[in-house]
Amino acid sequence: MTTLADGAAPPTRMATLRPIAGLEARRYARHPLFLIGVAFLVIGSFTGGTAATGAPANPEQQVATILPAFFLGLLGVFVGHQLARSMAASTEAVEASPADGVIRTGALCLACLVPGAVALGWTACMSLVMALKAVPVSAAISSPDRGAMIAASVVYAVGGPLFGVLVGRWTRFPGAALVAALVLVAWTFLGTFGLLMPASRLGTLIHLNAPFTSWVSSDGPNAPLWLAGGSPWWYLSYIAALCGLAATAAMFHEAVGARRSRLSRVLAVLGVLAVASLLLAAAPDPTRLTL
Amino acid sequence: MTTTTTVALTGITKRYRGTTALEAVDLSFKPGVTGLLGPNGAGKTTLLRIVATVLAPDSGSVRLLGRSPATPEALADVRRRLGYLPQEMGFPRGFTGFGFVDYMAVLKEWTARAPRHDEVRRVLDLVDLGDVSTKRVRALSGGQRRRVALAQAMLGDPDLMLLDEPTTGVDPEQRVSLRQVLSRAGEHSTVLLSTHQTEDVAALCDRVVVLDQGHVRFDGAVVDLVATAAGRVWLADAPDPGARASWRTGTGKHRNVGLAAPPGAEPTVPTLEDAYLLLLGDRALTTEAAA
Repeated sequence: MTTLADGAAPPTRMATLRPIAGLEARRYARHPLFLIGVAFLVIGSFTGGTAATGAPANPEQQVATILPAFFLGLLGVFVGHQLARSMAASTEAVEASPADGVIRTGALCLACLVPGAVALGWTACMSLVMALKAVPVSAAISSPDRGAMIAASVVYAVGGPLFGVLVGRWTRFPGAALVAALVLVAWTFLGTFGLLMPASRLGTLIHLNAPFTSWVSSDGPNAPLWLAGGSPWWYLSYIAALCGLAATAAMFHEAVGARRSRLSRVLAVLGVLAVASLLLAAAPDPTRLTL
Repeated sequence: MTTTTTVALTGITKRYRGTTALEAVDLSFKPGVTGLLGPNGAGKTTLLRIVATVLAPDSGSVRLLGRSPATPEALADVRRRLGYLPQEMGFPRGFTGFGFVDYMAVLKEWTARAPRHDEVRRVLDLVDLGDVSTKRVRALSGGQRRRVALAQAMLGDPDLMLLDEPTTGVDPEQRVSLRQVLSRAGEHSTVLLSTHQTEDVAALCDRVVVLDQGHVRFDGAVVDLVATAAGRVWLADAPDPGARASWRTGTGKHRNVGLAAPPGAEPTVPTLEDAYLLLLGDRALTTEAAA
């Protein structure tokens, strides 16, 4: 007797992946840090949302991206990391199962869509509320660009947990998740130096290389707000490629033989896509538009 | 019962940083229960890990269930048909007994929910944990946790069961119950049982393999090993200085195990433990004392 019914063909990788991803998604959805993040997101949407809607000069997309990025993305680094490390105590039993490490890691990466789904729902609700309240929006931002800026919030919410999974797969030391979160924060701050520079393509490139970005800034506390240069759509492509890189690099850790070679090629393609997207994001006229 | 060789190890050598865990070991196993005995560091766990496909030998060939687990496909095929209980097994935070075994069942490609849950209930009932399966694993006693770990190894009634100290921390009543379960499994599966409990081996196994410092010191029927101690175990009112081991029993008599009983000694029926002590000599005694 075996684990499979006699004569039955072994399930395909996809057939195995689906239930594991389902289990991991449920584990993600029940994780205390994720639930805390969702609670703060909801609370923040009332306080931050009011501020946004009450101050027309403050574009709504700022709130719409910061909150999911912080409460789902940054906290998600810890959730993703913990889920990736959680079976470490049972490693040998897990490794002796037919579902190999690539499938298990792939399932974890799919589970990271849970915060993305929450961010999507939250963004949709916020957009609906703002539309119903007829919140004034700046004419300096085109509707497609506004869409890309807001859609980035979903990618932020997915990217943090994927980064956590990546770190969980490649490192073992306690505190790795904290270091990973600090790296993300530091990388984001690095990007703000681009906003301090005079408008230029180099400044835009530095600004947009960060995994989270703010499109609106000013030259001082009482100075008028301006919109940073760059293409929101290519920036969206850039951060999506970073997510793909994180997921692929996490799976790469577990891969052997031909799959490792295939994943190497995927990593190379995603790397090229990320670099190209970043360059294209910084390519447009760097002139800053006053809002 | 089929008599096909299910595990064939030829010239298996494994070293850890200069320490030899296994040295040119040749062993083969057929369906039935085989006990692996040996002092700490004898190579029992290394042997089981190699057979469980979680550790590759430095040299030698491994054939499991008629296949060489060299390709990913063959490896997955073998893993579909084996159950493995590692020596040390932790549990992720937050899992119930049912949840953990269910998770392992998904990894073992039980993709359909209803039959999977039936199977999880079956194995939990086998180890007498049906009534506490909804309790968190961390709230269970050490023996109960060990039984949860054993339950996952029994999922799907595998053709090859590798159990590393399955009865550690399990109370006597449960041990007897587990012996019944394992002896039934041995009717159609190959069960390799690594343990320090000679009474489990004596009660359960048709065959015993004694490992010492990476070498096979004995491989044969349990009765044959016990027979090697015939006439070398005797009772006396005082410890015999010529005995290899001597201890005071509950009757007040001293049980002496040595190379030969002195003239006039009161011989007694040897046990597997006596034979094991005689086979391994001082190394076994050192390990027994440490245990």
